[in-house]
Amino acid sequence: MGKEIRVVHYVNQFFGQQGGEDMAGMAFTVKEGPVGPGIALERILGPRGKVVGTVICGDNYFAENVDKAAEDGAALAAEFKPDVFIAGPAFEAGRYGIACGAISKSVARRCGIPVVTGMAEENPGVELYKRDIYIVRTQRSALKVAENLRVMAELAIKMLSRGEGTRLVAREAIGRPSEDGYFPRGVVKNEYTEKTAAVRGVEMLLAKLAGRPFETELPLPADPGLKPAPPISKPLSRCEIALVSDGGLVPKENPHGMRGRGNLVWAAYELDTFLPDDFASGDYYVAHTGYYPVYVLEDPHRMVPADTMRELEREGVIGKLHPLFYSTSGNGTVRNRCWEMGTEIAKQLQEKGVDGAILTST
Amino acid sequence: MRLRIDGVKVEDVRQGQKTRIEGKVLYVDTGDLEKALLSDKRIASVRVDIVRPGSSVRIVNVIDVLQPRCKVEPEGTDFPGWLTKLGVAGNGRTISLEGVIVTVCNRFSHRSYSAVLDMFGWGADLSKYGKMPNVVIDPAPAEHVSEREFELAARTAGLRAAVYLGAAGSGRRRTGTEIFDLKPSPGKKGKLPRVGYCYMLYTPQHDYQGVPDPIFYGGQATEILPTVVQPSEILDGALVNQLTVRGMETYSIQNHAVIRELYKRHGRDLIFAGMIVYSATMEPQRRQRNAMLAASLARNVLDADGMILTKCYGGMPHVDEALVAEACENMGIKTTMFVHLVHSGSSLAESALASSPKLDAIVNVGQVLERIVLPKAEKILGGDRGTSVYNPDIKQTAGSAALDIEEFLLAGLHDHLGSSRVAAVDY
Repeated sequence: MGKEIRVVHYVNQFFGQQGGEDMAGMAFTVKEGPVGPGIALERILGPRGKVVGTVICGDNYFAENVDKAAEDGAALAAEFKPDVFIAGPAFEAGRYGIACGAISKSVARRCGIPVVTGMAEENPGVELYKRDIYIVRTQRSALKVAENLRVMAELAIKMLSRGEGTRLVAREAIGRPSEDGYFPRGVVKNEYTEKTAAVRGVEMLLAKLAGRPFETELPLPADPGLKPAPPISKPLSRCEIALVSDGGLVPKENPHGMRGRGNLVWAAYELDTFLPDDFASGDYYVAHTGYYPVYVLEDPHRMVPADTMRELEREGVIGKLHPLFYSTSGNGTVRNRCWEMGTEIAKQLQEKGVDGAILTST
Repeated sequence: MRLRIDGVKVEDVRQGQKTRIEGKVLYVDTGDLEKALLSDKRIASVRVDIVRPGSSVRIVNVIDVLQPRCKVEPEGTDFPGWLTKLGVAGNGRTISLEGVIVTVCNRFSHRSYSAVLDMFGWGADLSKYGKMPNVVIDPAPAEHVSEREFELAARTAGLRAAVYLGAAGSGRRRTGTEIFDLKPSPGKKGKLPRVGYCYMLYTPQHDYQGVPDPIFYGGQATEILPTVVQPSEILDGALVNQLTVRGMETYSIQNHAVIRELYKRHGRDLIFAGMIVYSATMEPQRRQRNAMLAASLARNVLDADGMILTKCYGGMPHVDEALVAEACENMGIKTTMFVHLVHSGSSLAESALASSPKLDAIVNVGQVLERIVLPKAEKILGGDRGTSVYNPDIKQTAGSAALDIEEFLLAGLHDHLGSSRVAAVDY
């Protein structure tokens, strides 16, 4: 690495040597060069880099409007034209941790540079920001701050040499969370393996057959223990029934921007206008790449059986067809989000007095 | 059944007066090859290009990659059901050119995506195909040939080209020989465990225009019930790729890594008890029936102690595969199943589509939606600079300065049949 790395460091009022809790309301201030733990950081960087500037802000000031503070702080950091941004570490200090997470995320988006912060596991900032940025695991107190800063700095420098890694297919130089000391970010990356999958598989099975230890490459989650809902207690002829589908059926313009894969949104459409008996098959789009939608586009009732439900309503078999159709696309959507969307839809159905729902899938 | 594959090593491919192998060079009379491919009346014209690794060439609209191979005993039994009349494949002797591939393109496809193959730079580093000299077949349809019919013609042209080039190895000095020999229901040998293989051939979920791609002995495999076949059949032309590349192209089938590994260890670490083929289905009852029948064949016909299972591209087949594995485990057969991940933004545990505690031995062959950005190519084959290349977020073309694709679109990086050295890990 030829060029000296320009590092900008973020600290709160306390580590920025502005004062204690009495100064927690202070707005942003910027200093040239390192302040407080930044001095140790610069020592760790040695000839490789310099802390060119320090952004300081009071914890309460930041916490009052996190989004705005994160934007403002990132703008101040950007003025130093940094190669790397380091925040904290914040240890177990909650407001400081959230500030470190928010400003780091904002700098990463604005400048596209490596950002690293550090926190203790108990810090609420970990859960909030670990998916967005690298957060190095620290202990709860500032006792080993220099050691923490070393791990943070080395991680950031590794991230700078993107494209030079040999273990990851994507050529990132980053190590595994346990190796480089950061909290797992809830993503997977492809690594090269020494053996082919075929060899790994046969060896794994032989070990399993012989009762020798082996390690699965995909640990399965515990059964969430879902129990089927109890049957509807009142007669069906007095029930309001809703249609819900994850088949990705939406109006042609896809107004809610539902994605064909990895979708995160759901939408409700008025059945009378969305899917009348005299529908026109050109009016629809299927936001779902997990199946070929030719049959659904030909007649969307194959996915959303509003026609049959209306018939049952006329015949008095069901009391009423709920006027809204709840649509989402379930294809490669992360399980947590599926869970949330299901809960959100169920809550709406409950609030509207719907007695039962029919879920159709692909 | 006994299959012998004689390898003939090829290090370079050049245009030549007569198609032949001299030393380690394959000379191709491209005019003669074109003539052979034009014997199919569905094809109006065909472009044949020879490309070498290291040249700044990007091949787009790739629908298949094959190894040049030719049956010498019994002669004229190549790809039964496609090029020759039906007969059980996997017996006798086959010539295989090692280190060279045939790539088939279909620039007339309206499918939403097809594969990319780079002969240079990072793309070539990542792909087993980008490192080999390559004969590229790019046909054009005759008038009034439908899109689906032309897909079959293009596929057949690829098979024909593979056999045509493979024939050049006949009579040449072989550089390696592999024997695939299994007795009918191979018996016990000491304490060696009996291991079988359960191969999901097809999933109907992506059927283009609602019509399945034929793949097995010239026909569709959608309706197939779990069936016992000889593993050498799969290696020797019974099965070909679907009409898009999804980690199971013909080259990978011809060199099926799990099947080869089981043959290799047969009699040494295990008894290769045989194999079962079936397809994924979208109907729950069929799925149950497949699981029941496959497990029963494994238990009562193969008499297997353990089974390895692989699957097709997609999330739904994960469920079909897990049900078969669970049914096997319930019958006392230990399983290892291969899966790939179709999530980019979640941890390993969140990506699993099964939760049975019995499925405790899973091989993950990687996260196929990871993104890679490939450098600009000087020359495009199988399309032109303006050919669109799939990306879920942006519109981009083959000539882009930086081509941002999901890994499954790069032919020869991921392989559902076990040849790749990749696994997804929590980060």
